Amino acid sequence: MDRLREKVRNLLKDGKVAGYLGYIMKDGHPLPHLFTPARPEEVGQAIVAPGDARYPLDKLLQQLAKGYPDATFAVQVRGCDERGLNELYKWGQLDPEKVVLVGVACPQDQADYCECPGPWPSVIDSGNKCKPVLRSQRVDRIDALAGEAAFQEWMSAFNKCVKCYGCRDICPMCFCKECALEHPDLMSTGKVPPDSIFQLVRALHMAGRCIDCGLCEENCPADIPLRVLYKKGNALVKEMFDYDTGSLTTGLSPWKFLGDESTMETKPM
Amino acid sequence: MAEKEYEPKIIGFFCNWCTYAGADLAGVSRLQYPPNIRVIRVMCSGTVSPHHVLRAFQKGADGVLIGGCHIGDCHYLKGNYMTIKRMTFLQDLLKFTGFEDGRLHLEWISAAEGPKFAQVVREFTEKIKKLGPSRLKLAPKAA
Repeated sequence: MDRLREKVRNLLKDGKVAGYLGYIMKDGHPLPHLFTPARPEEVGQAIVAPGDARYPLDKLLQQLAKGYPDATFAVQVRGCDERGLNELYKWGQLDPEKVVLVGVACPQDQADYCECPGPWPSVIDSGNKCKPVLRSQRVDRIDALAGEAAFQEWMSAFNKCVKCYGCRDICPMCFCKECALEHPDLMSTGKVPPDSIFQLVRALHMAGRCIDCGLCEENCPADIPLRVLYKKGNALVKEMFDYDTGSLTTGLSPWKFLGDESTMETKPM
Repeated sequence: MAEKEYEPKIIGFFCNWCTYAGADLAGVSRLQYPPNIRVIRVMCSGTVSPHHVLRAFQKGADGVLIGGCHIGDCHYLKGNYMTIKRMTFLQDLLKFTGFEDGRLHLEWISAAEGPKFAQVVREFTEKIKKLGPSRLKLAPKAA
């Protein structure tokens, strides 16, 4: 924690950044907070957010960047947050030159809970690397169910949906101005639970974009296992296009450009 | 009296330049194929969003057939590169969720392949008939 505070203090003192987006402990609650050079004394209260109190800092950063397009901001990132930033750079939503990372490595129990394949960012200012979880057992379990059983399982989950749009609203990767989930020609309006395809449409959008932060699932009042769906989407994208979501080394998203000659074959009937 | 055979509803999204013209050729050649297919003409198979396919299933389609130009023959050069990426992904996602397995099919049919068009529609209709009504259609609606 001291290492992190020291770095933030130096960043603010050098005037390299207009602010540091991190967490503060306020009245016993860990809350997202923008630390500025104008109030350096607050840095003493800067904390690493505990695992059960997480906010979409990437999303807040996008709003900040929109309001202050010329300013550079430092931001506290976990492995997932950094993947999200990388993906946002690729989609032209943030400028990598205007973001400074303050990295936090997740503890082992957090990585196990998330089944996270990369629980630390490229810069670590707090915590130590732990063992990543390379294979999701939750996905494997559904994979093992065949057809009808999987369908029943998903339908019972989807039917609990109250259409609060919480999954979309908290998602750091949901930056579209118009949303397919609200398009009256693509989705029935005015009924709860929504169309059974509601979560599938979101899963389509999340493929190759979801950075597996898990906020959607934590936020869902109906406890729909959204993460399993998006994890599978990413696994399929990896398998089909060899695309690592949130990595800067595998090029642009396969959905973004038309590409060279296609070598894929249609599936047999 | 024998029980009436199940007549499925199949939605076809056909590209204007190849598959739709192939369907025309099948028509003027008087080739027979089942009438279960409802055709929607699109300018390019690449304009068919997975949303449209999901929406078709939600609205009660038993099968969705997408027809486009062969790779390299696209009127818009690279439209069908996108089609195959999207549809292959959607097929696998639908399989994972157990929604529909094999009810979404993508086939490249050129304007000269009238007999192939009739053949594909015949085979696909047969297959969907065997599968019966879609799970999504049968699923009980939550109160």
